Amino acid sequence: MERHLLPNEIELILDGEEGFGITQLKAHLRDCAPCRASLDEARAVVEALDHLPHFSPSPQFAPKLMARVQVFEPWHVAALDSARRWLPQSRPLRVVAGVMAASMALAVSLGAVFLATRFDQVLFFGTLAASRGREALVAGLGDTVAALFGDAALDALRTAGPMGMTIGLTAFLVVVAGAALGLRALATASRRRRA
Amino acid sequence: MAPPPLPSPAPSRPQALLELTNLPDADVVALAQAGRESAYRELIRRYERPVFSLIFRMVRDREIAEDLSQETFIKVLNHIDRYRPEFKLSSWLFKIANNVAIDHLRKRHLRTVSIDGSPHAATAAEIEATSFDVEARGESALEEMESKELGSAIERAITRLRPEYRACIMLRHVEGRSYEEIATTLDLPLGTVKTYIHRARHELRRALEHLKE
Repeated sequence: MERHLLPNEIELILDGEEGFGITQLKAHLRDCAPCRASLDEARAVVEALDHLPHFSPSPQFAPKLMARVQVFEPWHVAALDSARRWLPQSRPLRVVAGVMAASMALAVSLGAVFLATRFDQVLFFGTLAASRGREALVAGLGDTVAALFGDAALDALRTAGPMGMTIGLTAFLVVVAGAALGLRALATASRRRRA
Repeated sequence: MAPPPLPSPAPSRPQALLELTNLPDADVVALAQAGRESAYRELIRRYERPVFSLIFRMVRDREIAEDLSQETFIKVLNHIDRYRPEFKLSSWLFKIANNVAIDHLRKRHLRTVSIDGSPHAATAAEIEATSFDVEARGESALEEMESKELGSAIERAITRLRPEYRACIMLRHVEGRSYEEIATTLDLPLGTVKTYIHRARHELRRALEHLKE
């Protein structure tokens, strides 16, 4: 080869290419000191490039980024994570927690089985408790109405039936809402006057 | 002298994150797709330095590089459900980082062109109103180039390369990507990537010639 290597040919050798014509270039290199020097220079540049460092962003980079990223967490993942937070970190405590959880689960299961075998009794006592509760609630409401509006109002409600009660309650709520809006309007007007 | 890399923050990582560090990217992405916040953090931890470094060397401004890196990660992480596991996550990230940086450089170039006023300005008053202070911008660019972090001879030589050469050189030598990967990442033909890298190295060699003397 009569001429020196071209820059592109030096790059091909640097890249370790083995294609057609490379043998001839390598043979020239063996006999040509200036081309060998050029190759060494090119190699030094590649080495310097290979040792370029990474730069770090500021320490606030990740927190700032996480605040802007929308993490969509499915409900089952969120539930599992919440459950994990309740688990103790140390192994013995985890075992204790597991034993306690298993005991509780067993007790609840036994209770459920016990109640299922006595379903008629559970139904009877449940109905009884519900009716007592309803009676207590009605009596309490009656006392409140009588104390606030007098016995006459209570008698009127009793005679009007459920429809009358609904109309009365609606009228009461409308009066309360109207009073609240009126007070708000007064407050706003007063604030404007002061401003 | 090569600039010393800035120290990375060493936050105390929770247990879950320590476990994630051993997983390959594809698994961490799968966890992120399942809504694991710790997986998002792990992906950021893995790639914040490479992405920031690539963009920083492209735009040569730390603050802008941080903003563009944030933009890159937001684009990737907010669309993590669209990630296809047959591609490397890093290639996707670098592709977006490069696009974001190139877009920024293009916009900056447009702004630079309009230094003498808007091309649509018809009167002298309009030209004056749309032009801006050249001296101040020139000094700032010089300061950027001579900043400590980009202060070494090779870093300065890199800043003078064409942006597309710079991206190829960074991916090849800083990130250790193969020519094929770079071609996929930057959507360029393989031959073009090789040409860019060869020309870039040749330009760098010429730029550093004075150091021999």
